[in-house]
Amino acid sequence: MAGSTDPDDFVPAGLAALGIEADEAELALIGGLHQVFWPAILDLLALDTKGVEPERCPDLSAAPR
Amino acid sequence: MSEALDLGLRAQAAAIAAGEADPAQLLEAALARIEQRNPTLNAVVETFPERSREMLAAAPPGPLHGVPIVVKDEWPLPWRAQRFGAAELHVKTEPAESGPYRALRDAGAVVVGVGNMHELGAGSTGNTSWYGPARNPWDTARCPGGSSSGPASAVAARLVAGAVGADGLGSVRFPAAYCGLTGLKPTFGRAAMDGHHMAPVTTLIVSGPLCADAADCRLLGSVLFGEELTTGDAAGLRIGVVRDAVSEDVAPEVREACEAAIEALRAETGGEVVEVELADLEAAAVAAIVTINGESTTGIAPADLNDLHPELSPLARASLKYRMLVPGAAAVQAGRVRTLMRERLAALFERVDVLAWPTVPAPAPPLEAPLVELPSGTALADKANVRGAALANLTGTPAISVPVGLSGEGLPLALQLAAGWGGDALLLDAAEALERANGRRWVDSRPAVAESEPAAADPA
Repeated sequence: MAGSTDPDDFVPAGLAALGIEADEAELALIGGLHQVFWPAILDLLALDTKGVEPERCPDLSAAPR
Repeated sequence: MSEALDLGLRAQAAAIAAGEADPAQLLEAALARIEQRNPTLNAVVETFPERSREMLAAAPPGPLHGVPIVVKDEWPLPWRAQRFGAAELHVKTEPAESGPYRALRDAGAVVVGVGNMHELGAGSTGNTSWYGPARNPWDTARCPGGSSSGPASAVAARLVAGAVGADGLGSVRFPAAYCGLTGLKPTFGRAAMDGHHMAPVTTLIVSGPLCADAADCRLLGSVLFGEELTTGDAAGLRIGVVRDAVSEDVAPEVREACEAAIEALRAETGGEVVEVELADLEAAAVAAIVTINGESTTGIAPADLNDLHPELSPLARASLKYRMLVPGAAAVQAGRVRTLMRERLAALFERVDVLAWPTVPAPAPPLEAPLVELPSGTALADKANVRGAALANLTGTPAISVPVGLSGEGLPLALQLAAGWGGDALLLDAAEALERANGRRWVDSRPAVAESEPAAADPA
């Protein structure tokens, strides 16, 4: 099954799945946000972080141990 | 007393301590100046003269005894809950003694007003707020920067000499840059944060000082830290520069001013400039956005978003709803990128003392259309700004914005310096070295609105 990131599909479907209501004006704005952020989120997900073991409860006031 | 009000923060404190300035007169002068200048700026959204007078009457001796300060609308005060620049917050807020308030009170300072901010802290421009936007004193048609828009506008217009902001993705450094101020984003966890409605969950937001220069930031920062940020020596400073979009995809006059400042800092400290690699800065910025979006929606159920306050801006409503659609896998990946960047920075700060690149890629954009022109094309200011700022929040490291010039249109230009964990004092040392190198030209520059002084409005 082909996926879709088209805001015309993704945004209304995602909001509906969560039970979040949005009027036409809000849908347009959310679609705009989606077009700005979604490619960046996909790039983030595609970044090779194999071998990076996330710090558990990192002390952000200090360098990693 | 307007003369004392025009002094910097430490000079005001010193004048009061020496008996050369009356703190009661200084407070009244600050209130009068807010009344006089604020209508064109909307920097201060509320004053409470009787509360301020009571605070002064009870003020203990301390490093800021009698000095008026503005606090961003991000923390409660004992007589006022924060609004976060918004018509509605999804957490209950009440008047309280916040960490920054206690730190200021115990230092003898007087909270004279609450500073405007970008709605929900969700913007780098300050062009949206429930109170209406704050305006940039250098050009009131321009963005003051956000989200600490009001604190920066208030200090730049000399309503006060110091203000407390908050920085979750650059929110102290952006307004410092746009308004020609010095602004410190402390190492995570070092500055007073209690009472912030996100304090229990945030791993990014810190409080930080906004002042005219680094020494004033050192004074106010020491109060917020609860410990002295001692003056050191930046001699032999190793300055790392990254040949990446953060330093390359910037307006030409920003690039020229920052390159000149870096060279001046190198010469002043007898240090060296080292080109370094720091990959994946864009991913780090996105990781920080994903992280703060998740933290900011903690405790919000999707159904809560069907009953938003009608005065919440359309963009804020849309943004809150869109945050719910970001996949959990992105948050996990953001955690991995955080670790990756922390490890890279730890290695990098073995080789250099500070990293330097422009705080923002272009001067303050118009309030009505917050877009910036970059070599890569026209960009949303928010998107362009965050890529150079979010790394410090994601990793917990400190960073500072220092003024380094004025654009052809007379708007401030700024350089960001970042250091390793706990390097807050070093950043202030470096900023002071840069001030010496350029003869304090930029930290002593003032917008025209800060020079005007109609005698009739001045009680002194």
